[in-house]
Amino acid sequence: MRRSVLAVLTFLTLVIVAGLAAPAIAGGGRQVHYVGIHPIPKSEGGGICYIEGPHVHIYDADKIQYRDHRGSNYFVGDPVAYGYDGKRYAYKGHHPIHVNAVVGDDDPDDEYCYLNGPHYHYFAPPEGPEFRVAGDAYFYVGEPPRVYADARPAMMRINAVYQPIQYERPIVTVDAPIGWIGARAEFVGPGAAVIVDAPRGGVIVAPPRAGVTVEGYIPAPSLHVDVGIGLPGVIVHERGPAVIVRERPVIIEERVKIKHDNGRHRGHR
Amino acid sequence: MRTIVFMMALVACGKSGGPDKASGSAASARDAVLDAWKTAKLTPSAMTPATVTFAKDCQSGTVEGVDVLLCSFASAAEAKAAEDQGLTWISQATGASQAHGAALVVLADRRKTDPSGRTINRLMKLAPK
Repeated sequence: MRRSVLAVLTFLTLVIVAGLAAPAIAGGGRQVHYVGIHPIPKSEGGGICYIEGPHVHIYDADKIQYRDHRGSNYFVGDPVAYGYDGKRYAYKGHHPIHVNAVVGDDDPDDEYCYLNGPHYHYFAPPEGPEFRVAGDAYFYVGEPPRVYADARPAMMRINAVYQPIQYERPIVTVDAPIGWIGARAEFVGPGAAVIVDAPRGGVIVAPPRAGVTVEGYIPAPSLHVDVGIGLPGVIVHERGPAVIVRERPVIIEERVKIKHDNGRHRGHR
Repeated sequence: MRTIVFMMALVACGKSGGPDKASGSAASARDAVLDAWKTAKLTPSAMTPATVTFAKDCQSGTVEGVDVLLCSFASAAEAKAAEDQGLTWISQATGASQAHGAALVVLADRRKTDPSGRTINRLMKLAPK
């Protein structure tokens, strides 16, 4: 019974997200304004539109992967997922996008990318203290404004759009820099959480069957594994050395088994 | 007497030189765009006069299968102000309208020869600022 309810809820979530992410033909063939590189909907042939400056199409943008930049649709997703073959930059986790710097205009506009884990963009962030580079990937270590946190629950749905897309994400195997947004407790994702407290002697985490492989020996003090049921991401918060997180397309299952018998529990009955 | 006639001729030439210089400057903005494309080994078609509501001095043609409208203005500010109106020329197609100096460059992929937009992007990037 419980399995079937969860299955239905998962299906409905995916249907809703797919609907929100599906662009439509603009009514009456009207022009829709875009700025920057973006994917072309399958109904229009698919692939990537490589026009970097302001331009128009006669199809709409979806509501999850685009933000408004002075009346134009600006794509904040990962273009590599749609076949982008140009210069790319690896990021890990959420981060701001200074849209005006990317498109080269004078209208200050900071938007946020809510893609979990390693992903690509076609631009590098501007130099400054809010990003640190580790393992050839950019990590956001700045202080996000409230607008980021407020929009987070809704915008996290972008991850469900990328869940079924098979493409090669960047592999990031280094420790996240101190201050990385993905390791900060206040930005732990919504959804059911399984918290594993590591014993002092360390713990070996078996790969959970949720599309993310976690490998490593974490000596202490703690490892948090948050599993969002119905959401695409498994967020692994690393504290300590040598945690390798390899993310693959997530297969959502109703039950996630994690070994966490650290001596204080006898297990669930 | 000959001197007077010569001086009058010089004055007449000077007067007629004003407008010519102005139109020459406007035309040079358009020519600069075409020259930049040709330098990049692109082959614009012959450009012919075009009538649009938002500019008086325009020519249209094609480059690499993309429809092109090049309009010359007296200043860069006027060209910039006409960008949105340039979109009307694109109509129901993928396209872009950008000011480059005193020239307004409008591109429209009406025949869908540039589905990835690479040609439009290249043409816009080649056009001198």
